[in-house]
Amino acid sequence: MSHRTIPTAAVWGAQFAVLAAFAASYALAKPVDRQILVSELTGRSAAEVVTIPRETALTIEPLYDDSEVISDDELALVLAQVVPRFPQKQLKPNYVEHALRTWWMKARFSDPTVMSGEQMKDYLVDHGRYLASWGDDIDPLLQERSNGVAVRWGKDLCASVHHDHWLACLTEAGMSLNEPVFTPNRRHHTANDVLQEAIRDFRLDEVETEWSSLAFALWMAPQKTWRNRSGRELSFDLMVDRLVRGDKKLGVCAGTHRVYSLMALIRLDDEYHILTDEGRKTAWSYLETVRDAITVSQFPDGHWPSNWPDGADAVKKPVEEELFKKVIATGHHLEWLAIAPRELHPPREHILKAARWVIRTTIQQTPSDIGQRYTFFSHVGNAMALWRKTHPADFWMKWEADHPGWVDQPADATAVLNR
Amino acid sequence: MSGTVLEPPPVETQSAPDPEPGGHQIDLSLLEDRVPEQWKSTRRLTACVALLGIVFFVFCVRPLWHTDLWGHLAYGKLIATLRALPSTEPLMPLAKGVPVIDTAWLSQLIGYGTVTTLGLAGLQGLSAIAITLCSAVLLHRTLNRTRSLSFAMLAVIAFLWLDWAQLAVVRPQLAGLVCFLVLLHRTTSRQPRMFDWWLIPSLFIAWANLHGSFIFGVCWLLMMTAGRAIDLLRRTGSVRSLTHDVAVRRLLLWSELAAVAALINPYGIALYGEALRFGSYGNLASLTEWQVLDVRGLHGKVFLATTVMLVCLYRFTPRRVASWEALSLVGLSLATLTSARFIVWWSPVAALLLATHARAAVHRWWPWTPTVPPSPRTGKWSLVTAGLAWIFFAYSPMGMRLMHHREPSPERALSSFTPIAAVSYLKEHPPRGQVFNTYEWGDYLQWAGPEGVQVFVNSHAHVVPRDVWLHYMQVVEEADGWADILDRYGVNTILLDHLNRSSLIKKLKDDAKWKIGYDDKQAIVFLRRKPI
Repeated sequence: MSHRTIPTAAVWGAQFAVLAAFAASYALAKPVDRQILVSELTGRSAAEVVTIPRETALTIEPLYDDSEVISDDELALVLAQVVPRFPQKQLKPNYVEHALRTWWMKARFSDPTVMSGEQMKDYLVDHGRYLASWGDDIDPLLQERSNGVAVRWGKDLCASVHHDHWLACLTEAGMSLNEPVFTPNRRHHTANDVLQEAIRDFRLDEVETEWSSLAFALWMAPQKTWRNRSGRELSFDLMVDRLVRGDKKLGVCAGTHRVYSLMALIRLDDEYHILTDEGRKTAWSYLETVRDAITVSQFPDGHWPSNWPDGADAVKKPVEEELFKKVIATGHHLEWLAIAPRELHPPREHILKAARWVIRTTIQQTPSDIGQRYTFFSHVGNAMALWRKTHPADFWMKWEADHPGWVDQPADATAVLNR
Repeated sequence: MSGTVLEPPPVETQSAPDPEPGGHQIDLSLLEDRVPEQWKSTRRLTACVALLGIVFFVFCVRPLWHTDLWGHLAYGKLIATLRALPSTEPLMPLAKGVPVIDTAWLSQLIGYGTVTTLGLAGLQGLSAIAITLCSAVLLHRTLNRTRSLSFAMLAVIAFLWLDWAQLAVVRPQLAGLVCFLVLLHRTTSRQPRMFDWWLIPSLFIAWANLHGSFIFGVCWLLMMTAGRAIDLLRRTGSVRSLTHDVAVRRLLLWSELAAVAALINPYGIALYGEALRFGSYGNLASLTEWQVLDVRGLHGKVFLATTVMLVCLYRFTPRRVASWEALSLVGLSLATLTSARFIVWWSPVAALLLATHARAAVHRWWPWTPTVPPSPRTGKWSLVTAGLAWIFFAYSPMGMRLMHHREPSPERALSSFTPIAAVSYLKEHPPRGQVFNTYEWGDYLQWAGPEGVQVFVNSHAHVVPRDVWLHYMQVVEEADGWADILDRYGVNTILLDHLNRSSLIKKLKDDAKWKIGYDDKQAIVFLRRKPI
């Protein structure tokens, strides 16, 4: 083109050519790149919507029906301690989540003071019920976002304490993906909106990832990878790397939730292959080290301490700690062992001793004691039911049906324990 | 018949000087300059080559900086090995899955190719060539505008002085700077050429693959277009004239051609997405060179002084001031104030305009200032020019490497802050699991350290996940809970420098969980007593 004259037709032609070039380049770009470009220009999230292949999440079935670990009578007494009998005013979401996770949505109780599974679910998914319990002077539990619903979490008593714990508990309790969720503005949301927001929201390096990894796996399998809001490609392999990262003692509940989540990922991998060989090996190796640590860190009375990762040193140099921390460690370890293959078990005697200790301790608690530490004892109830290859709701409803009046006059605990 | 024949008068000839007693006298005037006309050179060219030669030599011997360079070489090595570009972060384990658009892949590959064939001297030479090219282009353009060699040299010296700190760091930005100087040269030419229609798109094809600053080049072209439009509007008052003006059309088309040419890269339009994203990466706010320019520091003071000088010059210059000058200086100055790193783009523009208007002001207000008349073109100056160029090259580390296979020692070729010994220690004692390293040393650790070393962060701060970056800052700033971070990430090895981290080092020495694995005046390596 001459530098002295540039015809107008050439200028217009160039405009069309430029537009065509950019349009072609956009069309040829990878979907993820297009998404990132659009998100930069519009400010919208770069995360794609993850298609969930099921309406109800997967469940991880227990592997053993071992009456030597816990008998029917003992199980009934343990579960009796953890029925969800909560005051309706200022009802802690964290308690309801734990109870729902243990008892599932199908739970029904003859005692009218005890919340049914449906009632617990309704409390968590309906802002109106939450409002009725806490009043309108606090932030809502369910928060609307531009294209999803977030759950408020943190140290507040009126919040869900752990990140994605609400999601994980309702997932394990059997919530449907289409379950209506009522936010303060009462718009039509479903559990899927909460799940998608959690997926977008998730950051691999945040402090708590235990429940996110569990919930995502139960919903998404066999899908292995997805993207979060910032466009980072996440996978269950990365989840494993994150869960095994760092000192074993770190993580919620003396590091035991990480262990449960890893075991759950392996179990799901058995059927749905959500991990690569390397990812599975990493998770398995970690669990082997946990097995080895709990083998040598158990106290003579059967409990595991909160510093169980210290191995034999935990027994040689015991730390002074409150009872509930021992309940946390022992109950949680028994819970993951119930869904773990035998290669990952410590010697059987250890399991029996641990069960004996936690059953005795739980049964001996007063209702007030349980009320203060309900969340920890709920894990005990779940763990013990799993060791009988059942679920608390299934067992309890059958038990109540087979033993009418038992609730009002339960068996003598001492007699049961000494049998 | 008789006649008289008059003898013609003797012809006066220049007599040869009396020979000196005992010696031969060479008459230089008898020498014939056989150098072909097109190869004859002037004193002016010789002076330019001398200046550029000095620039080349100085930057050739300058030690390689201890940061970015090594990370880029590591990426270059990966690209060369895989023969593919990674789509997610490949080298930082804590950034796995983070999408990566490698805007400097070609520079990284070139750098890697250079270091594998020519070693450290090659890298020094490559950066020196780039800087010399920048200086040459600026010199030529300033000479063209001022017709004064001394002011043209002033421009180069000003550019190097203003950008001294930035030029010390060998990184793909240098390639971007070369491209920008070429663009600056072409867009400030009085007479655009036909080949510009090919040169500019070709430049942007290269630029888009060499460094992400190509987007700045597109903006520059748009700014030049706007500048021309403003000038035209002021002169004619007619908007219609804008649409018919050849220069406006040309600059607009160049902008568009450049934007389209930049699409020719492995990522296509995604490269623009990355360019748009780059400024919003929160991690960069922690890095000094991306922060507001500290006007109390040396660079800030130099920047301010230069700005004041420019303001004064514009007050007194007799030259017509084009709108693009005001737009570029104001825009780049504001950008530099908000983000110190922009000084690298501001400097050549400021240097060019400084020299241009200084020359005009001197010529106007001090017309009696003697000017050296241009020398004639002779073969003598060609010889001197070639000789100088050869000397500067031959004695440089790159020349030594090429001709004598002499490699400079790492202690001479690398900056004194490079942790050569500490990283050697780690190579001999490969760390287990996660390493915690200072940001400044992450790249060198990746390049020279043990295979597969799990660095915490490297200079690609924009790729580091936000949480990881905040946790890194928490540790180096010794904020509450910093020790827990090390436990949480399963860090078993820590590499720190004594110069900036003495307080953290003291705390680690007092912590029973850690023992010293290596310690020298420069660096220290801590090892966890009970590895996680």
